[in-house]
Amino acid sequence: MDLHLLSQYVLSGVVIGVVYSLMALGITFIYGIMKMINWAMGEFYMIGSYVQYALLATVLGPGQWWIALPLAMGAVFLLGVVTQRVLLRPMYVRGIERRDEYATIVTIVLMVLFRNLAVVLGGPNQYAPRDYARPTTLLTLPISGNRFVALLATLALLGLFYLLVKRTWIGTAFRGAAQNRVGIQTAGVDVLRLDMVAFGVGVALAAAAGALLAPDFLVYPEGGAISTFKGFEIIVIGGLGSILGSIVGGVLLGVIEALGSVFLSPAYKDLYGFVFLIGLLVIRPTGLFGERERLV
Amino acid sequence: MTRRFRLVGALALVAVLVSVGLVAPALAQNPVKIGVLTPLSPPGDASAGQFIVRGAKMAAEDVNARGGVLGGRKIELVIEDDSGTPEKGVAGFRKLAGQDRAVAVIGQFHSSVMGAVQDLAEQLKIPVFSTQASAKGITARHLTYTFRTHVIDPDRVALWNRWIKQQGFKRVAVLAENTDYGVGVIEDTKALFKSMDVGAELKTIIFDRAVVDLTPQLLEIKSWKPDLLINVGIGTPTYLIIKQAYDIGLFPATPMLVSYDLPARPEFWKNLGEKGTYVTFITYYHPTMKLTPRGEAFRAKYREQFKEDPVYGALNGYAQITLLADALNAAKSDTGDNLVKALLAGKFEGWNGTISFARGDGPYWQQWTPPMLFMQYTKPDQVFTEAKIVFPAEFKTGDLTAAPKK
Repeated sequence: MDLHLLSQYVLSGVVIGVVYSLMALGITFIYGIMKMINWAMGEFYMIGSYVQYALLATVLGPGQWWIALPLAMGAVFLLGVVTQRVLLRPMYVRGIERRDEYATIVTIVLMVLFRNLAVVLGGPNQYAPRDYARPTTLLTLPISGNRFVALLATLALLGLFYLLVKRTWIGTAFRGAAQNRVGIQTAGVDVLRLDMVAFGVGVALAAAAGALLAPDFLVYPEGGAISTFKGFEIIVIGGLGSILGSIVGGVLLGVIEALGSVFLSPAYKDLYGFVFLIGLLVIRPTGLFGERERLV
Repeated sequence: MTRRFRLVGALALVAVLVSVGLVAPALAQNPVKIGVLTPLSPPGDASAGQFIVRGAKMAAEDVNARGGVLGGRKIELVIEDDSGTPEKGVAGFRKLAGQDRAVAVIGQFHSSVMGAVQDLAEQLKIPVFSTQASAKGITARHLTYTFRTHVIDPDRVALWNRWIKQQGFKRVAVLAENTDYGVGVIEDTKALFKSMDVGAELKTIIFDRAVVDLTPQLLEIKSWKPDLLINVGIGTPTYLIIKQAYDIGLFPATPMLVSYDLPARPEFWKNLGEKGTYVTFITYYHPTMKLTPRGEAFRAKYREQFKEDPVYGALNGYAQITLLADALNAAKSDTGDNLVKALLAGKFEGWNGTISFARGDGPYWQQWTPPMLFMQYTKPDQVFTEAKIVFPAEFKTGDLTAAPKK
């Protein structure tokens, strides 16, 4: 095997893994705060890609992707806030037994609803925004300009997210809620309002991934389906609730799939990540950076 | 007494005659339902399904405007979405047969779906037509109720092998999706490469249709240095291969042949921009083709209605509904058995020639094949009608153009 080619496979896996880690981060963040799994995450990714395409095709023009990106994230943030307020919050207000399970089922319904709404509103066809940048080279890898932009934008968003969580008041509240939802209420934090913001931030991260990858992976109603599975694989590999785990898990999954599809068979590309995941869980059930439950 | 009985009898007879007179026309007006089971949502090639539906609807309007079938009954289309998945296809076919009482079903596009529904068609004795599903096995199974008016994959592969020989390509890579169509095409290519003595090296890769990042496979192909890449995706994967091959510098430096007529659709340039330039693709229709009077009338009406040229799927959808109308009239019945007999016995006016269904050997069973052309775009946003035909020689309007070196 040519080392040059091997380095290209690894780099291509790293790039796509980093971008997918945005999805994983969104899933793990919502889980960390609300203790529920959002199965409609891929559909928020898909909506992000549609909003980005619609803005570029109608309002902003093809070169303005960098303005469209925060707008698409903002639109999906608002959609997430409304969704959480109307459909999920009622389960957290009263002492409903098994509320997390109910909330999870609501997100499964949302997944079907959003996918069908996309067919009704946008038709079943594919769309693609014009390229964000010309093809370029990343070390040894010839790469689409869109994917290079997506890599840089993802790194910037991860940095911003880190600052939000570590350096702001609301970030402290998020971390508190992730550790003890009851405890932070005694400190005067409105945990229900925090849930709303957390859900909005989580789905906005998925929307960013969708908007960034739209020119390369196209915009269509089922466009988010694959990314949902990738996101869940990544958080289990990295450890549910771990931000660092989301990033490391994303990169690992990207590289494993790239190498597996070349050295074994591309017909089973999605299988390699699952095999790795199962193997890892046998050795380390909490994932790479997950923590064991602490009971007092 | 006898007079009273006669009177009552006469009144009863009048009542019976009146009621028969009222009911019979109502019965005669029952529409004949034909199912259109086709992909109208992802993961199927929904765009293809929409074109087929367009053509079928226009055919039903035409037939009904001419007085319908079977002495005045209207054709009613029942449109079902199979999403390009066998399970939805089977469910849709069951609904068409059981609930809607469709007498025949057209619109099949994905070979995997057609393979699943044709068993059901056989069981329920309802003729099913492949409109654009081309896997060899569909007609090679010699089923009574399966018909096709579309190309067969071995013919498609044989034609591109002839083209490869003529162009002198020496290293050919085929990237195919893991569906009945993709896998079948790979098998046919391998077999015919030997039997046709193509004289080129062959590299084949099968990928999962659900995967959106094909960069590693395209990098592998690029490092193999092919002089032709054959793109055997259907719908979204076709676009992804073109885009991603362009981004890593594989295409258009290496010529690419798309295995079917997706680039003829209006949305091709919207999705690809300049990346679609220099693509070569197989199509079954060209605007310069001489059509039958029926085909010409359809084309004129289509242009007027949609302000664009029809694509092959619409033409074939139209032809299948009109030939079914002709077969219903010839059979004087709407039962499956009689319809099959009429289809086998008759000759029907298609969009570009006379369609008939013989029971030939292998896949040439109840099969009618349209012509195949290789076309190439040489300018961004080039309209389909201006693309040149590069193969076969009898239709050729220009040579294959290589992309300028960057």
